[in-house]
Parts: sequence; C-alpha cells; structure tokens
Amino acid sequence: MLKQAPIFIARKQELPLDSDSSSPFLKVMISIAVFLFAVTLAGVMSINAMLINWNESILGSLTVQIMPVNNIDKAKATAQTLAHQEKAIEALKTIEAVEKVSPLEDKQLQALIRPWLGDGVKLENLPIPRLIDVKLKKGATLDFAQTAEKLAEATPYASLDNHKLWLSKLISFADGLKMLALAALVLVILITSGAIFYTTQTSLGLHCYIIEILHQMGAKDAYIAQQYAKRTAWLGLVGGCIGVLLAVPTIFLISGLASQIEGGIISEARLSAFSWLIILSLPLFSGLISMLTAYYTVKNTLQKMM
Amino acid sequence: MLKINQGDPIIEMQNVGIRYGQGPEILSDIKLSLKKGSFHFLTGKSGAGKTSLLSMMYLAQKPSRGIVSVFGKNVNFTNRDSLAMLRRRIGVVFQDFRLLDHLSAFDNVALPLRVCGMEEQEVKKRVVELLSWVELSKHMQATPATLSGGEKQRIAIARAVINRPDILLADEPTGNVDNDIAPKLMKLFVELNKLGTTVVIATHSEKLISDFAYPRLHLQNHGLRIYNANDLTGMGGGSHA
Ligand SMILES: Nc1ncnc2c1ncn2[C@@H]1O[C@H](COP(=O)(O)OP(=O)(O)O)[C@@H](O)[C@H]1O
Ligand SMILES: [Mg+2]
Repeated sequence: MLKQAPIFIARKQELPLDSDSSSPFLKVMISIAVFLFAVTLAGVMSINAMLINWNESILGSLTVQIMPVNNIDKAKATAQTLAHQEKAIEALKTIEAVEKVSPLEDKQLQALIRPWLGDGVKLENLPIPRLIDVKLKKGATLDFAQTAEKLAEATPYASLDNHKLWLSKLISFADGLKMLALAALVLVILITSGAIFYTTQTSLGLHCYIIEILHQMGAKDAYIAQQYAKRTAWLGLVGGCIGVLLAVPTIFLISGLASQIEGGIISEARLSAFSWLIILSLPLFSGLISMLTAYYTVKNTLQKMM
Repeated sequence: MLKINQGDPIIEMQNVGIRYGQGPEILSDIKLSLKKGSFHFLTGKSGAGKTSLLSMMYLAQKPSRGIVSVFGKNVNFTNRDSLAMLRRRIGVVFQDFRLLDHLSAFDNVALPLRVCGMEEQEVKKRVVELLSWVELSKHMQATPATLSGGEKQRIAIARAVINRPDILLADEPTGNVDNDIAPKLMKLFVELNKLGTTVVIATHSEKLISDFAYPRLHLQNHGLRIYNANDLTGMGGGSHA
C-alpha cells in the first residue's frame, strides 16, 4: 500500500519558507558573522594563552635594584646607598601583595659577582647596585605601575625589574584588548540575532494568510514556530560552516604573520587543540542561536494575533 | 475537557457586540445559545454581519464586548493553546475556500490532521478515503489553481470534516459554485448533522434553504432574531434574488 504511493514521499512545506527571498540574505549574513566571530575568538583565545604565560612569569617574586650613590668617600657612599635601600624596603613593606622583603647581604652579592670578578672583591669599591628580593603573597597580583610609583616616591635610587614592569604593562594592554574583542563578540551575536528577528517578522507578515489558515486548522503557535526554527537552524548551520571554512585559513595567515614578530612574546599565542575544537564547533553554535531566535520571535509575534 | 452532551449548549453568546477598529458596531447585543446536534441557517443581506458572527464562532475573532462561549469555555479567558485545541473540534468552510495554493489537494485536506501531529500513515488512510468519497481521487496531487470551483469547494469541505469536528460552520458554501451542486451539498450537511455534528450555514440565498425546516438566525439592523421552524412562514426579509 505504501510502496505504490510515491506521491506521499515528499511532504511539501505548509509554509514555503525555503523560497523566502530573505533566506539567501540570512545565509550570507550568518556566514560573515561567524567568520568575524571565529577570527575574533581565535584572537581572544591566543591573547588568553599569552596572558597565562605572562602572568605566570611575573607571579611570585620580583627584584628591586638600588643604584649605588656616587661619593668619593667610599664609606659614606655605602652608608647612603644602604639608607636608600632602607627607604625602599619600608615602601615595599606597605604594599598589600608583598609577603616578605629581603635585601641581599654582602655575602650573597659577592656570590653573585664571583663568576665574573672572582673572590675577595670589596663591594664598596665597585659601583654595583644592591638588590632586594621581594616575595609576593600566594595568588596575589601586584600592581606594577603603582609599585614603581611608590618606590620612586620613596627614593629616586630604587627601580623595579625592567622586564617585569614592561610585561605588566603589556598584560594590561592585552587585557584591554581582550575585553574589546569580547565586546565585539557579543555585538556580532546581537546583530545577527537582530537580523534573524527582523527577517522572521517580515516573513511572518508575508505568510500571514497561510498562518491564519494553520491557526484555524488548530495549529498551536509552537507548530509554526518549529517550522521557522527548523529552517533558520539550517541556515545558521550552513552559514556557520561557510564562515568557519573562510575563517580557518585567515587565522593561519594572521598567526603566521604574528610569529614573524621578534622577541618570542607572540610565540606563546599558538591555539590549543581545545581552542580549535571550539572554533570548528561554531556552526553548531550559530545554528542553535538562529534556531532559538527564530523560535521565540515567532512565538512572541503570534502572541499578538487572536 | 468538559464533556458536552447532546442538547447541551455548545455555542453561547451574551450581549455580544463586534466592531472593526474604531468603527461602529457591526453587531450589537447578540444573544444566542446553540445546542449540541442542532442545525441552523444564518441569514441576512450581504454586509449584515454573517461572516463576522461566524468568525466569532470559529474562534478567529473575539467579541468587542459581551461573552462568547464555545464548548462551555469563555473565549476571553481561554489561552492561545487551549483555543487551538478548541479549533480542532470546529470545521470551517470559508466563502472563498482558503485553500493553500502551493499544496496539492491531498496536502490541503491533510492539514488539520498534520497540525495536531497525527501519524502520517493514519493521515494517508483518512485523506485517501475522504477524497474518494468526495470523488476527487483522480485529483489528489493537483494544486487548487488547476481545479474548477466545484472541485475546490469539495476540497474545502473535505478539509473541514476530515477531523470529524463537533461543529461545522459553512460561510455561503453555495455562493461560488454551480446551482446544481447546491442541493447535493445541503444533503451532505444534513447527513453530517444526523451523525451528531452541530451545523451552522450562513447564506443570503432564500432559494437554497426554503426547502428545509431548520431554525434561522437572522441578522438585520445590527441585531439577531431567531425564527423557529414553525414561524418561518411569516418571514420575508433576508433573501437575495
Ligand atoms: N476585517 C474587516 N474590517 C473592517 N470592516 C469589516 C471587516 N470585515 C467585515 N467588515 C464590515 O462589517 C460588515 C459586516 O460584514 P460581514 O460580516 O462580512 O457581513 P456578511 O458576511 O453578512 O456579508 C460590513 O459592513 C463589512 O464592511
Ligand atoms: Mg460574508
């Protein structure tokens, strides 16, 4: 009985949504959105990877240098240098994140320069800086810029470890960049959902004759919303695949360019396997968002009819 | 769902008024109570408000004022999903048929079954059976545009009754077809009524209904008057040539 009826195989759509003129527009729109989203997300994730590395390297401890005071009277010079060191120590101790401040003893300093100058060097005779080892509390983050300011106030002879200070500035810059990128991601989602919202509303208006008939036949709003959800999920999935397909070579291109930057700072930016997994699953994500947006747009719009 | 027995009111209206937008009331102070299993004609000149009254019965419109109850439920206090469930028990034949032009005859008739999620196999069985009963088996895959007025009408009627509705509402069902079909159509409605379906047929054609001794709901001057079978002889108004 079933076999002799090929006419029943393809059930025609009650709402001819596939022929909506907005469908190609939505597909292109979603492709572009997912492309932008994927590239920006790759940026966020590599910034994150770098931040983790950088944060680790500035965590835990740092070194403060006290430049030697110049004076012909060596004893006086040493005394003045030590006085500046004392001021720096006092200043460091007032900082919340600091656990322990320990100036390096003469012996330790001599040990440090032994490989270069050998034994028996009189420290007073050399214009070498004195060093303070600062241990930070576990998990505490130090505001490098503020610490540098505090030290400068205490004594002009003190200076923070240059590399770490610079790195901390880079971290706050990267943090800002990350926030900006995250805001862009949210914006892309909002704009795409907005486009789906308006095209869905337009389509509902276009098909109101059919929808009225479906309602009269006893269709619930969910029945109509499901047809829209299905169609739009498909557009989101296909558009998402196109977007990701374009984004992957772009991401490779950008990271290739970035790796040419000197200094090894960017080398930590390589995306992890997990990050790639997220990027490759974006079509599912865009399909889901498209589906939910269409579904709730239909439900809400129909609510206003009898 | 409330069970409604034969003879219980199935459609009720109290102090019902209806208007479109800010316009004047098309119908005012309508009061009626149709019993389950009854058969009524709805008469009145064109523009009298027959379609407006029917559309409240088939739950496409809410009254501007007053109370409309269908299957014992006040439509003003019934949520959208429940209204959809009530509509499944009401078959409607529209004056302009309202078939979906991009669907085949088969798919049009299948619509009420599919929207309530019936198994496709059962849908096929029922639709094939009904289409053969209205003598449209040959045109199952034809789209409405390729069919004659009478054929389209039979599809519209098949769609209205496929779900075995408790109420059948027909809006000028004979208005758009050849005269020789009209008596056959009336016979069909009478048959359905005998099976327990509550029937209301709107018409402005006196000729069509003069042979039937069913009560009439007559619309005139924005109001409703009900004539029973035995006081029909005195009635003059409402007919169109
Ligand atoms: N959707 C509508 N908007 C505005 N006016 C309407 C609408 N539908 C019907 N009317 C008006 O209501 C009156 C009654 O119309 P209708 O109920 O269609 O009467 P009938 O079916 O008896 O011909 C007419 O004057 C008509 O112009
Ligand atoms: Mg009418």
